[in-house]
Amino acid sequence: MGKYLLRRILQMIPVVLGATLLVYALVFALPGDPVKAMFGDKPVNEAVAAQIRAEYNLDKPFIIQYLLFLRNAFTLNFGNTFAGQPVIGEIARAFPVTIKLAVMAFCFEAIFGVVFGIISGLKKGKWYDSVILIVSLLLISVPTFVTGFAGQYFLGVQWSLIPVTVSSNTTFTEMLFPAMVLGSVSMAYIIRLTRSEISSNIAQDYVRTARAKGMSNGSVMMRHVLRNSLIPVVTYLGQDLGALMGGAMITEQIFNIHGVGFLTYQSILKGEGNLVVSIVTILLLVFVICNLIVDMLYAALDPRIRYE
Amino acid sequence: MTDNNQNLYETLPGQERYVAPIEETPLQAVDKVDDSAPATSMWADAWRTLRKNPLFIISGLLIICVVFVALFPGVLTKQDPNYCNLDNSLSDPAAGHPFGYDMQGCDVFARTVYGTRTSLSVGLLTTIIVVLIGTLIGAVAGFFGGWVDALLSRIIDIFYSIPFLLGAIVVLQMFRTSSSIWKVVLVLALFGWVSTARIARGSVMEAKNLEFNTASTALGSTPIRNLFSHIIPNALAPIIVIGTTSLGSYIVSEATLSFLGVGLPTTTVSWGGDISQAQVNLMTNPMVLFYPSMALAITVLSFIMMGDAVKDALDPKSRTA
Amino acid sequence: MENTNDAKIVEMQKAHGPLLEVKNLAIDFTTDDKRAVHAVRNASFSVYPGQWVAIVGESGSGKSTSAMAVLGLLPGTGHVVGGSIKLDGQELTGLKQKDFDKLRGDKMGLVPQDPMSNLNPVYRIGTQVKEALKANNMDVAHEKRSALAKALAGEEADVQLKGNDDETFIGSAELPALMDAARKALAEAGITGEAAEKSVKYFESEWVPGSETRWRVADDLIKAGVSDDKAWAIAKAHVTGSTMDDRIAGLLSEAGLPDAATRARQYPHEFSGGMRQRALIAIGLACRPDLLIADEPTSALDVTVQKKILDHLHMLTDSLGTAVLFITHDLGLAAERAQHIVVMYKGQVVESGPSLEVLQHPQHPYTKRLVAAAPSLASQRIISAHERGENTDALLEHHVVGEDRLEKSENIIVVDHLTKEFKLPRKKEMFKAVDDVSFSVKRGSTLAIVGESGSGKSTVANMVLKLLEPTSGKALYEGEDISTFTGAKLLEFRRHVQPVFQNPYGSLDPMYSIYRSIEEPLRIHRIGDNKSRAKRVRELLDMVELPESVMTRYPNELSGGQRQRIAIARAMALNPDVIVCDEAVSALDVLVQDQVLRLLNDLQAEKGLSYLFITHDLAVVRQIADEVVVMQHGRLVEHATTDEVFNNPKKQYTRDLLDAIPGGKLQLGLD
Repeated sequence: MGKYLLRRILQMIPVVLGATLLVYALVFALPGDPVKAMFGDKPVNEAVAAQIRAEYNLDKPFIIQYLLFLRNAFTLNFGNTFAGQPVIGEIARAFPVTIKLAVMAFCFEAIFGVVFGIISGLKKGKWYDSVILIVSLLLISVPTFVTGFAGQYFLGVQWSLIPVTVSSNTTFTEMLFPAMVLGSVSMAYIIRLTRSEISSNIAQDYVRTARAKGMSNGSVMMRHVLRNSLIPVVTYLGQDLGALMGGAMITEQIFNIHGVGFLTYQSILKGEGNLVVSIVTILLLVFVICNLIVDMLYAALDPRIRYE
Repeated sequence: MTDNNQNLYETLPGQERYVAPIEETPLQAVDKVDDSAPATSMWADAWRTLRKNPLFIISGLLIICVVFVALFPGVLTKQDPNYCNLDNSLSDPAAGHPFGYDMQGCDVFARTVYGTRTSLSVGLLTTIIVVLIGTLIGAVAGFFGGWVDALLSRIIDIFYSIPFLLGAIVVLQMFRTSSSIWKVVLVLALFGWVSTARIARGSVMEAKNLEFNTASTALGSTPIRNLFSHIIPNALAPIIVIGTTSLGSYIVSEATLSFLGVGLPTTTVSWGGDISQAQVNLMTNPMVLFYPSMALAITVLSFIMMGDAVKDALDPKSRTA
Repeated sequence: MENTNDAKIVEMQKAHGPLLEVKNLAIDFTTDDKRAVHAVRNASFSVYPGQWVAIVGESGSGKSTSAMAVLGLLPGTGHVVGGSIKLDGQELTGLKQKDFDKLRGDKMGLVPQDPMSNLNPVYRIGTQVKEALKANNMDVAHEKRSALAKALAGEEADVQLKGNDDETFIGSAELPALMDAARKALAEAGITGEAAEKSVKYFESEWVPGSETRWRVADDLIKAGVSDDKAWAIAKAHVTGSTMDDRIAGLLSEAGLPDAATRARQYPHEFSGGMRQRALIAIGLACRPDLLIADEPTSALDVTVQKKILDHLHMLTDSLGTAVLFITHDLGLAAERAQHIVVMYKGQVVESGPSLEVLQHPQHPYTKRLVAAAPSLASQRIISAHERGENTDALLEHHVVGEDRLEKSENIIVVDHLTKEFKLPRKKEMFKAVDDVSFSVKRGSTLAIVGESGSGKSTVANMVLKLLEPTSGKALYEGEDISTFTGAKLLEFRRHVQPVFQNPYGSLDPMYSIYRSIEEPLRIHRIGDNKSRAKRVRELLDMVELPESVMTRYPNELSGGQRQRIAIARAMALNPDVIVCDEAVSALDVLVQDQVLRLLNDLQAEKGLSYLFITHDLAVVRQIADEVVVMQHGRLVEHATTDEVFNNPKKQYTRDLLDAIPGGKLQLGLD
């Protein structure tokens, strides 16, 4: 297990470096001047522009810029935004909000996804299986912003069941519906995954062997069908947690939640290249670490992996 | 070792010698060819399964409708989607304008109809590029293995670890001024090829290890010939499935980007852009938002349903007799 | 003694009546479009307590389906539509799954076919045994023995059984104390030196915690010379019962798994196929069922492993008094193992009766066909003909190349000190798959390489086919080193040396029609135009006795044997000199296998082909080969003519392989 972990970590390093380089290049090396973009429609003040370029090392060759950024990133020193705020402070304000939203969405999709997936997998062909399948198809096809608006309009505006937007307090009740919207697509995927895993596992030879041992239907289902079916589901959930942490740009936008997604979107619009790169770097690490945890979980759940 | 002293056994009741009447159990030639069913290739077989699948019929009909609307929007509406009159701002439906008007006073029905072409072109073009690039890179990685695979796999990992939407927004932000739909297509393709490449790599690796490749090599075939005449055709099914399904998701992505204001310019008629415009008046005029959303959802749903149906039909399990 | 015992068993069986009685069983499967497919029709057979009954038939004959119906585990849409199944008088048809749960495990057990897929990969082996014990609330401290077994045991050993206590298992914790007491007792009884050593050794090997019982310990001590009273006193004091873990280890070691306590903590993927099958046997027998259904329990395993496992299973079921319903496609194996045989064909029972009688005097044409085709029986027939001093040529479809002619004819393939090493993942030292192997194939003859999995036989074949490069040594074709061939020369070589592979499902591209598959070599070698190719494909199909109508079909629509004939047609397309058959008939049913072997023999006689024939099955070798090379662990063990190998094997390993041929010891009738 230790060796496996080490190998995964070693594989992670080039990926993190490559991905940060790619994002850095996308933000700073593509045609289009981030400094010019700052001024928006106003005429560019060349002196100020030069000063800003020097402050953010934009006057140096690209690769040097990147290396300097990387060196600073190691000490979590991401510098200041163009507006003069420390980047790390901005991020620190946004992250708790996003974590709260992500954890809520995660619990929602994990619980309902797995439960509905099991129900529909075990009772294939029953009417509620069809209902669950159709609803999950709809959730996958309808974009999040449409689901979000529809909920906001009907539940919030028409029936006043939920707060229309989220205040800066980010209370549980305010966040509940946004979290559901955020988790809905993944929930639908989890339902489908669980269902198909169960129906393929039920046909496995070892399930028949378990029955031949005299085990009751209930324990065969629990120990052999569900246990094995949930391995890929857990993997999916783990990866999704990483993605959820990346902030939900759309959901946060709709419900006016000031989390990472909102911050990222705003800073992209404002051309805050430094802030964007810093956020993406942190998100990348979160994502990659979540994947690493998934790998470990996978190895813990499926003994075959450990020896590969 | 057991002794075979069966002869010492008495025959037990019910185990007397029995020979079935030969006329009741006629003998067939050894390994006779069964000519009863018509011969079918994998594709013909898949088609037969598909035809019977209601999911396929419904989604097929929907897709035909969507494609028709995209090709001939003029048949449905005589209105110019770009003709807007502020006098009509947020007016109710009227004759010839079944969906009413949006804030700029444009005809919502006409805009929804004409938006089909944009969404479908983006979805289709992105899918074509993604399938070509993804299959090529995935196939090369899976086929050659070794360091080529290691290198390409790391590159795939890198792209995979960047959140799709985030990456797309960053790049699109740089090209705000361009008004071509190609920028959206290329950006979606840039961050979309990885999932196809992963699948292509896996299925090429699987097909590569099948015995018929060895058989072909021994017949005198070269590795490259094997790749094109055996491996890729056999690895195609999962790629087609993901292609169909992701066509729908690229349409969603385009709408999302347009919704966020970084996708297609407002001058292009698109569902995402219209939804974005309509959200301002959500509280008072929800229907303006409803129609393009509906069109978007139906289109995406039909492609995802089609993907599901194709997946069932091409399931290799159904072909191993 | 033996006879009185047998007579006694028969008496008991008669008194008890059949344990399993299947009458006029009919089973249907429902297809997607709601049609009923008749899988089993009007099948009747019975199994008595303690008896082995075999159901023999080819794939699709309904043999497994019938057995699964007994367990209530029919796959998919299968359901019993008529007839009755009675277990100990209780009707099983129409029983709810809940009621089946009560019977499965402790009344009837299953040893399934494929050891690879029948163990859940995520649970330890021990856990999976434990599930069986728990599900049936088994007492892990005491043996459960059938009346039949008790009677048998009573006859074998003069031990008074004193109720359930005597069936208490040894616990692992108390084993050291027990051994000490045994040693002391031996010393007290005046047994010292070598005799005592021998007894102690015997105790150490026999007294397995969780498997050996108190009365056996007492019995062993008494036999070693300890007085009755003393022996029983020790057994009572030191054999007080096993824990769950002891019992699991005991069961596994009964099934022939060495070092069972450690093994129980491992996962299935750490086990070889043979070991997994042993674990499955332990599971099947864990709750001491009256009836064990063994569904081709060893067909996926090497012959020598198969023999060991079946011997073990036989011993176990005999000592436990378990009846076995043994499903197999191999008539020789069935006759060797079972007292009663049921032959099934296309869902119906065509013949049944005492094994030897059925084997010696088959009456139904299908049974006759089976008897004639079984390779194990064929070689048996040759041996008996030899003994009678008759000419055996008539018995062989294969025209043997005479030894003198073999001497004279030139070599077409020469394998010279061939060695192949592989790098194993995460291991420093190289693995020698093939180690210094030399032999030659004479023009127009057949050389068979025989060996079990891991013997390196397929690696040799792949080097001869230039699909692998040797690490050292050479393979020569017509005197030229194969590894030097490139470009046009290689293409030319490929024209002359063609393979037929093992897996009839894998060696044809499922996307290619049969026509395209057979045409492929012509296309690669740019031979002829479309018209002449079509003509050639027709010729080839005719050669392998398949109708032209299969040209438009796809591999998935053909049976394994038909696919293998297509593969042969494809190999023949270029008029090769040498065909390398890598386990070409191993995956086929006996009759189909026989058919393909005949085809290969005919082609050889007609075209003067040379074959390099790779197989794990010595019985098949007799039907096709002129010379045999026996390989084990990458090394050549023995190389001689076929007759020499069968009549006068020089090496122990060859003898083991010969012994493992099922039905090898049967006395065949002379008809």
